[in-house]
This record gives sequence, structure tokens and C-alpha cells, in this order.
Amino acid sequence: MYSESFIPAVASLGSLAFVLGIIILFVSKKFFVAEDPTVSMINALLPGVNCGACGYPSCSQFAEELVRTRNPSMTCPVGGGELAEKLGTALGITMAEPKPVTCVVLCQGHNGNARESAEYIGIRDCWAAAQAFAGTKQCRFACTGLGSCIAFCDFNAMRIENGLVVIDKELCTGCGACVPACPYGVLTMQEKKNERYLIACSSHDRGADTRKACDAGCTACQKCVRECPEQAIVIDNFLASIIQAKCTSCGKCLEVCPTKVNCILLERDMETVKSKKVP
Amino acid sequence: MKTFKTGGIHPPEQKLTSGKTVEVMPHPQELAVPMSQHLGKPAKPVVKVGDEVKKGQLVGAADGFISANVHAPTSGKIKAVKQHPHPGGQYSMTVFITPDGKDEWLEGLNTPECDWKKLSKEEILKRITDAGVVGMGGAGFPSGVKLSPPRDKTIDTIILNGAECEPFLTADHRVMIEEPEAIVKGLEIITSLFQGQVSAYIGIESNKPDAAAALKKHADSKGIGIVVLETKYPQGAEKQLINAITGRTVNEGELPFDKGCLVHNIATAIAIYEAVCKNKPLIERVVTISGMEIHTAKNIRILVGTKFSEIAAFCGSMTEKTNQVITGGPMMGKAQFSLDVPVTKTTSGILFINNRGLEKSGEKTCIRCSRCISACPQNLQPWLLANTAQLRDFDTIELYGMANCTECGSCSYVCPSKRELVHWIKYAKTLASKRKQRQSA
Repeated sequence: MYSESFIPAVASLGSLAFVLGIIILFVSKKFFVAEDPTVSMINALLPGVNCGACGYPSCSQFAEELVRTRNPSMTCPVGGGELAEKLGTALGITMAEPKPVTCVVLCQGHNGNARESAEYIGIRDCWAAAQAFAGTKQCRFACTGLGSCIAFCDFNAMRIENGLVVIDKELCTGCGACVPACPYGVLTMQEKKNERYLIACSSHDRGADTRKACDAGCTACQKCVRECPEQAIVIDNFLASIIQAKCTSCGKCLEVCPTKVNCILLERDMETVKSKKVP
Repeated sequence: MKTFKTGGIHPPEQKLTSGKTVEVMPHPQELAVPMSQHLGKPAKPVVKVGDEVKKGQLVGAADGFISANVHAPTSGKIKAVKQHPHPGGQYSMTVFITPDGKDEWLEGLNTPECDWKKLSKEEILKRITDAGVVGMGGAGFPSGVKLSPPRDKTIDTIILNGAECEPFLTADHRVMIEEPEAIVKGLEIITSLFQGQVSAYIGIESNKPDAAAALKKHADSKGIGIVVLETKYPQGAEKQLINAITGRTVNEGELPFDKGCLVHNIATAIAIYEAVCKNKPLIERVVTISGMEIHTAKNIRILVGTKFSEIAAFCGSMTEKTNQVITGGPMMGKAQFSLDVPVTKTTSGILFINNRGLEKSGEKTCIRCSRCISACPQNLQPWLLANTAQLRDFDTIELYGMANCTECGSCSYVCPSKRELVHWIKYAKTLASKRKQRQSA
């Protein structure tokens, strides 16, 4: 009894599949678009994470554009110099080597340094918190520690530790996708360096107000500006910043910084360049 | 009884201070006068540190068309001009004044009452603009701008908003009882600015029969209609009030003057009367200090720039259980993060409340009960807007009518899953406008 009932079903669906299969076969032959094999080859070399750091929405579009224009200045910051070499040999041109960059956090306002203003109970999102005063901390320039940037990082290089975003230098590829995700602008991209001295503060408040809100805030005391032999430190609107191109990493600024917790940070990210793996 | 067509909720009224006469608070030790007390561009400070100012002297000049003047609330010395927390949720340029205790008016201000009928329209508008009058209901739209709508629009209905639908707040209620004459005069001045047949109404919720009676005495002879409205939130929202009184619907993207209406707050009418007839700039207002955690709830007349901490002290300090201080009403007001914030022209109330237990419950998932849809006075689907905001899909959310949301909070109030519906919609509005800025840049 059952055998009788499924035969027409199998027969009808089977014949339908056969007819459709023939149509698909016909269409695929008739409307075949030949793809440039170089594009797929280049595409295979690229990291394939579609982070958008190159300015194109996806890796495959970068590959298409690169093959079409053969512009040596098109770079993939994620792949770095290694990838530029590979792409150069594949296309027979000399590619410009991208300067390796990394993400730095211009804030040290973790829960130990920055003082809390009020308990924030709304949506756990930095932009939502920014509507209700400058987040949870007294300093209105500080990282809120709610981590809206994390969703934008394709490389799992960001995490929140003790109320402050922390960048994993090994995993950060410098794609820059996180920078516009921060409402306070505490994330910036800087060139990778063996040793980097960094004023890790974004507060444009006057010194006294900054000091009230955070132990690690830059009070614009001018001491480091006077001490720097290269004149690499400038103060703009109550905040010092180091011009990395002039900085020779002598470390004199860190010695004179009078803040309780130094607002000047020493970061090393060159060893990590070698061990960096492209996912 | 008249009311608006769709949606609405009935939160507990909690009008603790409706029977209390307005007290005048003594001058504080220091005044922090923000330059941004209105919608639009902040005013430009025109005083320097160390300057002596008289009461009513200009300290911030309007910067651009949609902006408003800011005046010194009392005489004294300028102590500082710097960024300071603002009750609106941002930091704003603020002028700090140390009062000298003399409270001397600048010459030519606070003159004896003059007859406004002798003044030309331009003179009336100029006096209103110069006095820095803004909408005192909460949004703070400069009144001078509101009173000069585009030429091609005809205004045939002027409405004064005395609904005061937010729980706790009674500032407008008390003003209606104590100064009905000034309100009616203010409304007459507004009406005189428009040509043709203009009908004037004052909309009052049914829970304030004494206010309606007080106004009726003065309004009846002037041909002003007192409309008693059903007690329902958000009866006092501009679009809902127009719908309730005239039956007209202000659609998405339209402004009240597209429907021939103009809505002003009760307190604004008094400010307009004082500006025109007495040359008095807007430097003080009536504020309701209420909530379960303040020692004595009061209605007080207060100088703009008084810090919340001094107000709390004047009302017998807040209890230790206070965990939220809100400006405005509990439905649309903003929680504050510091008691250093000052009262502005738009602060209608300050609430000291304890909502411990509520804050930890957190958001649950939507159970599709559709209560938010029934509650929404703007005919929107708040759950859908919030879900789209959570997905950060800002193109779709505009199709769902995000711009039409007035952020009244009815949906968040009724949601059994305690979803932060309004906060998500506000969040989407901010990010969508940021994205537009970035795209156009």
C-alpha cells in the first residue's frame, strides 16, 4: 500500500529535477562569464577578512581593482610587507610596502585610575551612554569600557579589562575599523615602532579638572615639553601629544612626568611584528 | 471629554505638590549659567572673567537664527567661563557668577507695566527675542523663531499647553492658579501677532479643575476657550494636544504650523508677557521639586543657574536612599550624573527618587504582546524600531518611522519585558544622524 503511494511522488519530483537540471546546465554553458584567473589568484593571497582597511568593501573587490589598474601604491595594511612582496611577484610589479600600523588607546582611565561619576544602567553601548553624559566616568573624554568597538574588530584583538579597552598587539592588524566606532575618539592608529612613547590621555579639560577625574590624566604641565631634546612634544588645548616622527625614544619625558600614575606610556610592538600571523 | 485619538497610558499621577504655593528660593552662593538653554546653537559668551554684571545684563548673545540670548540672573561678578555639566546630558560652556547680594537691575529693565497694544508687531517680536524667551515646556525652542512662521503658512489656532501630563510635576498647575491674568495677557499678545480669524485655546487636563476655574474667570471675557482634556499621558505632547483640541493630525515630517496651529507652554506665555510689558528677560522660572526621597516637596521660583545641590539643601536635603535625580518628569526626564548641574530655562521639575531593584532587572526578550503598539500615541511599532536599532540597520528603521517618534516613553512604561525601547530609538537617532554627517562630509 505504501509502495503505491510514493511512486508518483518520486516520479514527478524526479522528472522535475531532471528538467531543471538540463535548464541549469544549458544556462551555465550559455551565459558563462570568464573570470580573470589572476584575480582569483590574487584573491587567494589576500587575508580574506573583508575588514575594509584598504578602502574597498571586500578583499575580492580589492583584487579586481588591483589587477585592473596594477597600481603599485594600493596596499593591504593587514597583510603588510610580506603580502606586498607576494602580490608584486604575482603581478610582476614592485608593490609599495605598507607602513605597519597598530591601534593605540589614548586613555588609561581604568577603574583604578579614573573616578566613577554615577552608575549607568541603560543600554550597554558606548554611543547610548554618551547621550547620558560622558558615560560612566567623571572624565568626559575617557573610554567608557562598554566596548562598542569590540564588535567592529574582525581580528578579536580587543577586550575590556577593568573598565578600559585593551588592544592585543599580536592580533591587531591596524585595519582601523575600530576608530570610528568610538564616540570619544580614544582609539587612533599609529605607525608600529620598536619603542613608542605615548601620551595616553585624551582629556582637553584644564589640569585641575583632569586631576580631579583621573590619576593618569595629562594636566598639560609643560614639563615634558621643556625636557624633550627633539622638541617632539606639543601641547594643544590642555593636552600634550608626541610627534612620533621626531621622537627618538630617549625616555626623558617619562622621567619628568609628575602625574601620580604617568600619563606617558612606553609601548613596544616591534617584536610582535615578526611573529604576526595573517589569519 | 476631549482627548487624542490613538494610544496613551495612565501612569500614577503622584502630584505631591499640587496644593503647595510657589515659594521663592533665596539667592544661591554661586550661579552657573549655561550658554545652551535652548534648541539650536549655543549662545556666545560676551563677558570676561572679572566683569561686574547687573541683573538682566546680557551674558550670552544669540549666535545665529535658531539661538537665544542668555542674561545674568542677578548682579555680581563673573568668576569663570568654562565647560560645565549641563542637565541635558552634555557639557556646555557655562558662565559662573558670584552674586554680590544687591540684586540690582540693569537700567531700563523690569519697568512698570506698559500697554502692549500700543507696540508694533516688530517691537513685540524684538522684545521677545531680546529677552531670550524659549519654550519652557522642555524642548526650549526659541519663541521668537516660533512666533515668526514662514509667510505662506496661515495660523488659525493658538494653543496654550497647560496639560502637564507628566507625573509629579505641578509647576504649570500652580502658575495657572496664581498668575492666570499674566497667562491670559501672554496669550493675547501671541494672538495679536497673527492676522485674520485666530482662535485661542488653553488645554488643561481634568485633574486640575482649580486651574481651569481660575483661568476661566479671566479668559471668558477675552474669547479664549478653556478646554478640559482627559487625564492621560502624553496629553501635553505638542502633536497630541493639537489632535485633542482641533482634531487635526500632524503627520510625519510636518510641523504644527503646517496644520495652522501654534502651541506654547503656560510658563512661556508668562515669560512673553513679562518680556513685552515689563522688559524683563527670562532669568527665573517655577520648578517642582518632588519625589519620594526629598524631605519637603515644593514648588519654587528659582533663578536660572542655581545648582541642584543647593536646591536639595533648600528642600531639606534628600534621603540616603536616593539613587536617581531626574530633571523634568519621570517619563521623559533625564537622569543626572552630578548634583553640580544647574537649573536652566527648560527645567520644569527635579525629582529625587529611589528605584533600587528596578535597575538590576535588565532587558528581557520581546514576547510580542503588542502592548507597546497599543500605547504608542504616534501609531508606531516600538518593538520593531527597537529591534532594528539593535541590529544597527539605520536605513530600515527610517522606513519604520523613527523620525516620527516623540520619545514620550509610553512604550517603555508598558513593556512587560522591561525593554529599553525609547533608549534604543534615541540611540538609533543619534547614530543615524552621525552617519549622515559622515556621509555628507
